[in-house]
Amino acid sequence: MTAINALLAIIVLSLLAYALLAGADFGGGFWDLVAGWSRRRDRDPEGQRKLIAASLGPVWEANHVWLIFVIVCVFSGFPTAFGTIATSLELPLGFALVGIVLRGAAYVYRAYGGGAALPDQWWGRIFAGASVLTPFMLGVSGAALATGTLGPHSAPTEPFRSAFALTAGVLAVAATAFLAAVYLCHNAAQYPETAHLVRVFRQKAMGAAVAAGAVVLALLPLFYRDAPAVAARFTDRSIPLAVLSALCGAGSLLVLWRERYILARFTAAAAVVGVLGGWAAAQYPDLMTGVYTAAQSAAAPQSVDAMLIAMCFGMAVVLPSFYLLLRIFSSPAVDEH
Amino acid sequence: MSGLVVARVETALSLSFHILFAVFGVGLPWLVLYAERRWLTTGDRVWYALTRKWARVMAVLFAIGAVSGTVLSFEFGLLWPTFMATYGGAIGLLFTLEAFAFFAEAIFMGLYLYGWKRLSPRAHWLVLWPIAVAGTLSTLFIVMANAWMNHPVGIGSTGGKVTARPWAIFTSSTSWTEVTHMLVAALMCTGGAVAAVYAVGMLRGRRDRYHRNGLNIGMATVLVLAPIQFLVGDFAARDVSATQPGKLAAMEGHYTTSGHVPLTIGGFYDNRTHHLVGGLPIPDGLSLLLNFKPGAVVPGLDQLPADQQPMTAVVHLAFDTMVGLGSVILLIAAWGGWRWWRGRRRGDSPRVRLTRTWLWAGAFTGPAAMIAMLAGWEVTEGGRQPWIVYQHMLVADAATKSTGLGWALLATILIYLGLALALILILRKLASGAPPDLQSDLDDGTEAQNTMEAQAAS
Repeated sequence: MTAINALLAIIVLSLLAYALLAGADFGGGFWDLVAGWSRRRDRDPEGQRKLIAASLGPVWEANHVWLIFVIVCVFSGFPTAFGTIATSLELPLGFALVGIVLRGAAYVYRAYGGGAALPDQWWGRIFAGASVLTPFMLGVSGAALATGTLGPHSAPTEPFRSAFALTAGVLAVAATAFLAAVYLCHNAAQYPETAHLVRVFRQKAMGAAVAAGAVVLALLPLFYRDAPAVAARFTDRSIPLAVLSALCGAGSLLVLWRERYILARFTAAAAVVGVLGGWAAAQYPDLMTGVYTAAQSAAAPQSVDAMLIAMCFGMAVVLPSFYLLLRIFSSPAVDEH
Repeated sequence: MSGLVVARVETALSLSFHILFAVFGVGLPWLVLYAERRWLTTGDRVWYALTRKWARVMAVLFAIGAVSGTVLSFEFGLLWPTFMATYGGAIGLLFTLEAFAFFAEAIFMGLYLYGWKRLSPRAHWLVLWPIAVAGTLSTLFIVMANAWMNHPVGIGSTGGKVTARPWAIFTSSTSWTEVTHMLVAALMCTGGAVAAVYAVGMLRGRRDRYHRNGLNIGMATVLVLAPIQFLVGDFAARDVSATQPGKLAAMEGHYTTSGHVPLTIGGFYDNRTHHLVGGLPIPDGLSLLLNFKPGAVVPGLDQLPADQQPMTAVVHLAFDTMVGLGSVILLIAAWGGWRWWRGRRRGDSPRVRLTRTWLWAGAFTGPAAMIAMLAGWEVTEGGRQPWIVYQHMLVADAATKSTGLGWALLATILIYLGLALALILILRKLASGAPPDLQSDLDDGTEAQNTMEAQAAS
């Protein structure tokens, strides 16, 4: 049982890493999408898009691997549940995959294509649209697992029937936008040529914080209605994490207002960790509520042990490398590849 | 269409799409490693230009390989839920290790592609090493998982759950022959594609040093590896004959178990008569090849019940395509080796004269290596049918029961077609010759040198 719990802990931590790192990349796509919507010249939509692209460039692929890692951990560690989870979520996961493929392809086609296939703006729109689609679908998928209505024979559209799951998808988009705007405030402040964007992203970050908070408030009653079993455990276990999230979310507003952008990164991240962590704690020990617990669907003990050993060695290599990557590109500059 | 057919077509499509780009993620870093090293040691801007160009190509292909690989990891569950439920744990270790290799590749790829100004030239070059090693390791782990499906080792069961000795796969001979075969193939595909791009450029009249260096690296890679690949392929075939006799029989289109089995080159397998139509039989060839005895008995497809036989017609054709194209590349290698040796004896410079025929040969190696590689995958996958895990689980039992996947297949086809088309256009633009600011460096160094020597002599 302890090996299984260790594996679950690794999966949750990796999911958090994915949300905090790749989430911000998706959020960057969201801001790319809406950059042109304001008519005001001083907001420099093309400058915003360039800064977003420069911030993503070196890290988005490494950030994306966290998702692959989570998938691999689930299918290797909990093979019985994985098949059912994947088939019952085939529609939202399928859409998420479309988003993942189009986002990545459009990003490199825009960065390296030089307009050979489609004009850069078109790839930009595809990149941005896919960046919104993917977190929405992943949010729907995660929330649908909590509802308890999925099973081996549930209809493909079942995940979309719950208002809770749909709202969770919206929350995922809001959270990624919030993270991205907060991270971009600091990035924009690094160079004089992007300094005028700090104000723009600060405003966006505060707007996204308020929006995400509002979505959470709308989500909570739906959560108790649509996912009663998990919600009950949420009341028992996750209140401290929820409080942390609320405090850090509100604190982010204050910190952003005081223009403390590095501190804002930590409060913003903590707010997201509180929500995701709260859900994960409440979901335990169910993988798919009402169908599979972690222990029921785990792989044979020697397989889990071997994976854990491999993970110790793997993380020993990957984590320092990841730190190096993030440190070297802590201040992304436009036009550097 | 039934779930099974959709699942099979979708998997074949996603795998082929992925592997066409993934091979460059494995092979290109090694070539860039060489080119950037040459730039660092000589300061020659032509090598720098090649490095920069290949880095851009690598960036695009790596990203497409990464996202299409993500699709595959989801598809295991979406299309093959029963297979994953039963054997997910058994191949889990390999996929975990692969995830880490991929992690390392992605991290250092970010450092490499965006680190031109932030890392010292030496550090920037060193960053290529983890990329190249990790790319090679991911191939190793993924192909081993496939090898395990071909020759599942270490399977047991306790308490109704399938168990597998997780480390057993590393001691299976099938793993190592299949992995080596694929790694060499990936390098050959990369070398061939690079050679083809520059050969076509030169055939169009761009006969500068930039193109010549690119062509030579590509040609050297694909041609030097050709004889090695033949040996590795021979080992792999012996392993197949030992572990999966049905697959070997399908590869050779060999139905009736007997001694003195001929080796038939070409020909089409007729499913009704179980004979090869056409083709060139070499008497006792297969018996000799496998056991070094003309009378050696080779088990045929008749050993298997009809519902356990692979689609021999397809497998045999794919096998002959692979071996045929490989043989032509080997002939080019022999011809090139002879020309090189002759050039060296005469003191020619360059050693191998870049005649139009030679350039056409170079242009041929790229598509040939790619098609041979895809055909090879058809052999190993098609030859395992109807099993998904050889002799343990049928493909039909592993597939999803979902019926609404036709739309997913249609969407995949459309998206992948669109992306592939866009990619071809982008790569074509990238392959538009040396960067304009390089023209002054492009004078043919050797010719200039020859002229100077000639003048000095007179």
